[in-house]
Amino acid sequence: MLAKELVAASTVPLVLSVLTEGENYGYALIQRVRELSGGKIEWTEGMLYPVLHWMEKEDLIESEWHEAETGRKRKYYRLRKEGRKALQEEKQQWMSVHETLTKLWQPQPRLT
Amino acid sequence: MATTTTFDLSLAIQRWREKLVQSPHFKAENVAELESHIRDSVVMLQNKGLSSEESFLIATHRTGSAENLEPEFAKINPSPLSKIIHALILIFFSVGCWFLWAMSLIPRLVTSRMVTRPLPGFTQLLMDWKWMLAVPPLLALGYCVCVWTGKVNTRSGWIGFFAVTVGVLMLLAFPIIFAVFLPLISWLEMLEIR
Repeated sequence: MLAKELVAASTVPLVLSVLTEGENYGYALIQRVRELSGGKIEWTEGMLYPVLHWMEKEDLIESEWHEAETGRKRKYYRLRKEGRKALQEEKQQWMSVHETLTKLWQPQPRLT
Repeated sequence: MATTTTFDLSLAIQRWREKLVQSPHFKAENVAELESHIRDSVVMLQNKGLSSEESFLIATHRTGSAENLEPEFAKINPSPLSKIIHALILIFFSVGCWFLWAMSLIPRLVTSRMVTRPLPGFTQLLMDWKWMLAVPPLLALGYCVCVWTGKVNTRSGWIGFFAVTVGVLMLLAFPIIFAVFLPLISWLEMLEIR
């Protein structure tokens, strides 16, 4: 299980990344992240929605209600241009953290 | 004998909805979306072989209780009360600025009645720039519009806004009071000379 702070910090890049696969609704977004992380990233599911609405206000994503195959209506979210740009920035930042930690954690060659 | 208590899923969802609707921080659309989420979750759990009651309990637990979700939703949907308080502070601030503007007219009113020496330089300067007093209320109005339309996160709430307006009023009041009293002092000096 990931620390609460790390889960909170990674929510926006995770949502943006999942949405690059195509439009999706809240429940499916959570399922996708759970599946990809092997259950290591667990969101309090309802907490995702305020984040989605904040992202919508920031013009990173847009939403629309449509009828699903079950006949019920669902709110689908889609990536916007600003969202793609934000994702590029997020990617760079997360990659630089990742690279730094990887270098530090590599087994050091021993001379003796 | 098997237990025969029947669980009504739609009734349970309706009860759960009613709890959320009581809070001003959940808009109708938010509740509809959360309900859609619970229903998806229930279907998924039922497909795994759980009863509808078990599925409902797990789904609502995973989604989070109204008490847990409320502070998060409050950040994106400020309550109407907070909007009203912002409006009241805006009115207070605008009246305060108007009062300062009215004060800055005093030296001119007095000089037009009694012919004396010209106004002190500082007073004159402030009087020439008194139209600037319209700027802070306009800025405050702009901020309030952002709050009312939900463009701004009101995490700091109205207390921060109130503190800023009082601070700005104080900063504006000191030079204006000084500028108004400067000509008074020079008149008093003149009276003494006479």
